[in-house]
Amino acid sequence: MDPAGVFATSFAKDQALIRTRSQAVALGLFLIALLALPVYSEIRWVAIMTSMLITAVVVMGLQINTGLAGQVNLGQAAFMGVGAYATALLATKANLPFWLALPLGGLCAALFGLVFGMAAMRIKGFYLALTTIAAQILFHFFVLNLPANWLGGSNGITLEAAEFFGFAFNTDTRIYYLCLVVACVMVAGAYGVARSRHGRIFAAVRDDDVASGMMGINVVRTKVLAFLLGAFYAGIGGGLWAFYVRFVAIDQFTLIHSIWFIAMIIVGGMGSVTGALIGVVVIRTVQESITIVGPSLVENFSFLSGDVVFAVMNIFLGGVIAGFLIFEPRGLMHRWNIIKRSYRTWPYPY
Amino acid sequence: MKTTKQNFTVLPKLMRWGSLGVAALCLSSTAHAQVTTYNVAGLADFTGPYANIMKDVTGCRRGVLDWWSEEVGKSLGVALRIKEFDTRYDVAQVASLWPGIKSELNPVVILGVGGADTNALQQRLPNDKVSLILGTAGYGFAWKSDNWAFNGRATYPHEAAAFYTWMQKKSGSSAPLKVGVISSEVSPAYVDIHKGVEKFAKDNPKILEVVETIYTEAQPTDLTQQVNRLVRKGATVLQVYTNTASVVATRRALQSLGKSNIPIVVSAHNGLQSSGKALGDLSQMEGNYEVYGMAMPSEDATPSRTFFDKLRTQYKVQAEYTSNCIMGMSQAIIAARAVEQVVKVKGAGGVTGEAVRAALLSTPMTTERSFGVLPNIKFSNEAPFPTEGLAVNISTIEKGKYKLVEQNVPVPVLNKW
Repeated sequence: MDPAGVFATSFAKDQALIRTRSQAVALGLFLIALLALPVYSEIRWVAIMTSMLITAVVVMGLQINTGLAGQVNLGQAAFMGVGAYATALLATKANLPFWLALPLGGLCAALFGLVFGMAAMRIKGFYLALTTIAAQILFHFFVLNLPANWLGGSNGITLEAAEFFGFAFNTDTRIYYLCLVVACVMVAGAYGVARSRHGRIFAAVRDDDVASGMMGINVVRTKVLAFLLGAFYAGIGGGLWAFYVRFVAIDQFTLIHSIWFIAMIIVGGMGSVTGALIGVVVIRTVQESITIVGPSLVENFSFLSGDVVFAVMNIFLGGVIAGFLIFEPRGLMHRWNIIKRSYRTWPYPY
Repeated sequence: MKTTKQNFTVLPKLMRWGSLGVAALCLSSTAHAQVTTYNVAGLADFTGPYANIMKDVTGCRRGVLDWWSEEVGKSLGVALRIKEFDTRYDVAQVASLWPGIKSELNPVVILGVGGADTNALQQRLPNDKVSLILGTAGYGFAWKSDNWAFNGRATYPHEAAAFYTWMQKKSGSSAPLKVGVISSEVSPAYVDIHKGVEKFAKDNPKILEVVETIYTEAQPTDLTQQVNRLVRKGATVLQVYTNTASVVATRRALQSLGKSNIPIVVSAHNGLQSSGKALGDLSQMEGNYEVYGMAMPSEDATPSRTFFDKLRTQYKVQAEYTSNCIMGMSQAIIAARAVEQVVKVKGAGGVTGEAVRAALLSTPMTTERSFGVLPNIKFSNEAPFPTEGLAVNISTIEKGKYKLVEQNVPVPVLNKW
């Protein structure tokens, strides 16, 4: 809901992502803060932000697929892995520059996602969830059992730092900026999808696919498209990951990672692009806090051993997610929208 | 008056003693100031797949660094301080955690857990100029030249190959040993291990035949059908190098099939003691073997046992003397001895990550200097693990007791897989 006095007087204004001047200022300041992060912040935070940006790209794909289009997906990490492997192979074996290898890696992941999108034509809910778990298992199976000179097998794939006309992204700061640029493009794309005709179709199919079909929506195409887009995002995230770590192996893309991605959209709020970003920030912050606070606790309180401290803190992390599921299943964005609406309609209740 | 006189005579004495005391304090504080403390980053897995063994690993490596700082480093003017970080054995966590550790702690060496650390860091360590030292055996995927990640032991397949060669000879038969492998695809490290063993079997058909490799889930509960298949194929020994849960499931399967006489061979991270503990009693692991290129946690008064007892009594180490503790001790000893070498060459102020790596590569470490925890080891630029004079120890459970069966069994030549 817009603030009082803000009216969309044209279709372009109605479609605008930034609707008020204060929103534009806030976004500008936020982007400046992100750009200046390596200047005013320790390298630890730069690394954590890099990891958040990569995760955000992957989770946005899941948000499109699951949050917007309602297609349960427990194989997002596998799609990310396909993107990472494809990017690594294109960069090492085909010697493609990173700016070509990265989108092509995303396309490979999209094609892999398409296969499972086809399964979504006939099944949904728990059955679809099981099928996407199969994606996870198949990905592991293929990588480990195809000849090692194809996908690296258990040895994984090592690659060099991304280079752009001789400029190597080989430091934490440089790779951060690369991930920031790509993430910004992908976020803009996700907002574009959400507000477009396709976004509305996704929401319609999510809410009631039978009714959507009755209204003339091509449900099959929509479901396939949701998987295609979601997997493309995961593939781009995987490509960034490959250039970040410069080593790709299957244990970087497991079912546990897929479950974490789901947790992020639950905490942030299903169906909202901003919610996906917030979910990534919240979960990753809690995870990183544990790794930061834990060692200090162990060091300062010698009677607490590491195994106790870290185990307790991980129970806390699980508790945070369980708490969201119980008390705010629609995520932080829903809570934020309630607060915003209350503020804008105050002193009236509605 | 007398009192006053006494006061007058006592005062200069007091002043003299006081000045001496102040001088002593100054000297002692100067001596303290001369001790340069270097940081060591300890990567640990308190909440991931190896959480159950981490207390012994971290406890023992901390104990070794405390011992070294007190008894060796103090006279050299150097102390080593370890700070531990939980990585959950997750590559993503290691990758995002490490830049912060480096900038905040500026460690001269990292003590890692295993493959996840190697995966996440191996490409950036040459730029960061810090060495990673692991207590586990090496991995095929890390078998590259010009490394910054080091293992004190050869690869798992190297260690297994030594055991199979020894066992085949011991059998007195000319027929090859038939091994069934229980592995898992959840980690590339597990796959790497059995690929290496299969390669050894292919190159040495007179010594070893792999009847089948079975993949299970990460934490299997029942493997009766799978183990039965291996038994029917004639397996005379089963290899389980994944984790304790797999050893437990394999042993239970053999017991239920009435084939307890078929031995299981395990490594240090899923050793006889931890597996026996998981099964409820050490005697449950009767007749099985563990093999690795480090000291074995026997009750005998070996140099490593004596060293551990010292750590426990004098340096308040809380850990038990297990294979996991020995892994932690081994990596900490390698790191401390390398720092010691740097200090001897460059002085107390010259310890850097790069200098530590140079010391690792240039200075062999004798078994005496590791208190028998490791054999004589010498790193080279060719591999991340020692490639010369490799040997393993083998132990078993006999009449419910942990028993060392053979020491210094040579490791055969193993080609890359």
